[in-house]
Amino acid sequence: MAPSAPSLRFRLLLTLVVLLLIAAAAAAFALDSLYRNLGLRALEEVLDAQVMALVSTAELDGEGKLAPQNLAEPRLATPGSGLYAEILGSQGSWRSPSAVGSGLNLAAEPLPGERRLEHSQLANGTPVLGLSLGVRWETEDERTRDFVIRAAQSLVPWHRELLRVRTGLATGFLLLALLLLGGLAVALRFALEPLRRLEGEIVDIEAGRRESLGTGWPRELAGVTGNLNVLLRGERKRLERYRATLGNLAHSLKTPLAAMLGLVERGEVEPAALAPQLERMQAIVQHQLKRAVFGGSGATLIDQPVGEPLEQLRSALAKVYAGKSISLAVAVAPGTAYPVDAGDFLELAGNLMDNACKYCRGSVAVRATPWTAADWRRPGLVLEVEDDGKGIEPAERAHVLERGVRADESVTGQGIGLSVAREIAAAYAGTIEIGESRLGGARVCVRLPGR
Amino acid sequence: MRLLVLEDEPALREMLVQQFRAAGFAVDQAADGVEGEFAGQEYPIDVAVVDLGLPRLSGLEAIRAWRKAGRSFPVLILTARDSWQEKVSGLDAGADDYVTKPFRFEEVLARVQALLRRSGGWSQPLITCGAVALDTRAQEVRVAGAPVELTAFEYRLLEYLMLRAGQVVSKAELTEKLYEQDFERDSNTIEVFIGRLRRKLDPEDRHQPIETLRGRGYRVARG
Repeated sequence: MAPSAPSLRFRLLLTLVVLLLIAAAAAAFALDSLYRNLGLRALEEVLDAQVMALVSTAELDGEGKLAPQNLAEPRLATPGSGLYAEILGSQGSWRSPSAVGSGLNLAAEPLPGERRLEHSQLANGTPVLGLSLGVRWETEDERTRDFVIRAAQSLVPWHRELLRVRTGLATGFLLLALLLLGGLAVALRFALEPLRRLEGEIVDIEAGRRESLGTGWPRELAGVTGNLNVLLRGERKRLERYRATLGNLAHSLKTPLAAMLGLVERGEVEPAALAPQLERMQAIVQHQLKRAVFGGSGATLIDQPVGEPLEQLRSALAKVYAGKSISLAVAVAPGTAYPVDAGDFLELAGNLMDNACKYCRGSVAVRATPWTAADWRRPGLVLEVEDDGKGIEPAERAHVLERGVRADESVTGQGIGLSVAREIAAAYAGTIEIGESRLGGARVCVRLPGR
Repeated sequence: MRLLVLEDEPALREMLVQQFRAAGFAVDQAADGVEGEFAGQEYPIDVAVVDLGLPRLSGLEAIRAWRKAGRSFPVLILTARDSWQEKVSGLDAGADDYVTKPFRFEEVLARVQALLRRSGGWSQPLITCGAVALDTRAQEVRVAGAPVELTAFEYRLLEYLMLRAGQVVSKAELTEKLYEQDFERDSNTIEVFIGRLRRKLDPEDRHQPIETLRGRGYRVARG
């Protein structure tokens, strides 16, 4: 068995999973970076506030050292609290008690008025965020001194918070993705249900439990199921026709066989006595074969342009009837096409045109036009074949179309063309009608309905 | 008239060959497409009867090859399938008419004779040149209304000349067309037969139906 292609469900689910993962990852990344930026901004504001508090409480001492007079923030007074501050000046530095022994190691030395933010590490590896502000201090003797005031905060609590949020985000998105996938699987099952039903009905048809597909299909499938039903009906009709042909053939051969058996039993084996029976058998075989030629499924889905085959027949018949010098006119409305088996159409038109050429005096006219109706999506076809011969008497017309249809009727091989044409037309749910032509002879009009 | 029978079924081929010979044709035969295609290209064939289903090379392909090489002799196809699709494809490939199997020999002969007449530019089975009238269907010759008895070879000779009435036909052409491939050729016999034909058609030397063009051949006047 050939390796089967991945199922529609699998294809759809795989595509959706990939899309969903990409979308979830992008959303999580966006949320994460947003949260990180907001968090850092908040940390920065805290540090800003600390630096401002230091500036507002700092005073120069006699040695020219700047130091805060009291610490409003208790964390600055507690060693290892996570909040640190220092003031650097040319005459000495001040460090908050919390920073003592911490190994706080900020590098930025901004000029007065400048602010710098930096990431650094304590001696024990703790990551910190530091803010340094350059200030110019006026002394009482109207001289100026430059200082750098720094505040730093441990990032450990914030990192812990970030991890918590990220875990939350990942869990949330994973749950959402699983939920969506589950939903999609259910939706697909629902959407593909008609296909499952179609499969089941086809299995039933194969098993002979039903004759055709049911009704009530979604719009997207209605075309396919409609065409399948036409195909099935065509096949069934074809089968019936084969059975009938086979039956007719067998039954009609019985008579000459019986006659020959009789002759042989009477001891008559002269070729002259057997010949008529042999000829009859030959005619029967020829006749039934002629009728079995066409496909007549009626379910061809491809539009067959009719101009080309009519032109082929025209040039073929012009050769065959070259001795008769017939004017054979073929008129086809531009773009005329019909969903018909190519062989069936040649057989239908060929029989009618051959007949017309056979019985005409000198002219044959063929015309093909589309046949439109309001409720047909694809137009039907009207094929008219006219000649200037003697025509067919009204009383004869029905008989001519039926000729050779019944098995026990004597067959001559001649004039069976019209009845074959009638059968082909019938296979396409069409009709055939014999009338009088403006040319003076017979006018045969075939109407094949659209769909 | 030289005719090629291209048919793979031995019984049918033999029947066709014998009956065409009996009808006065010089008959070449081939049992498969390749052999037949070669015969059509190499021998001076006037008409070919071709079965479509052949071993090695189909009848359609043989006909196409002849037409492609500019061989324009008329071709009658024999088809087993009585469908217009098959007839149309055969005629489209370059055949001129068809007969469906099973057939009666008379039907095939009538079609072949009609094709030969048409290729000679005659549309009726009755060909008339001056006082001489030749009925290709009945194979009868009348001079001024009176029937003339001809041997098979004499008839073939006259028919060939009359179908090409108005044209000069060389002795070499007559030898090629009236004898089969493996026949001992002698152009003197043609002169002998022309002499006999003249005596039969014109015993009193009045109409002079067959003209001799010294060093070029013979001609029957048209009309």
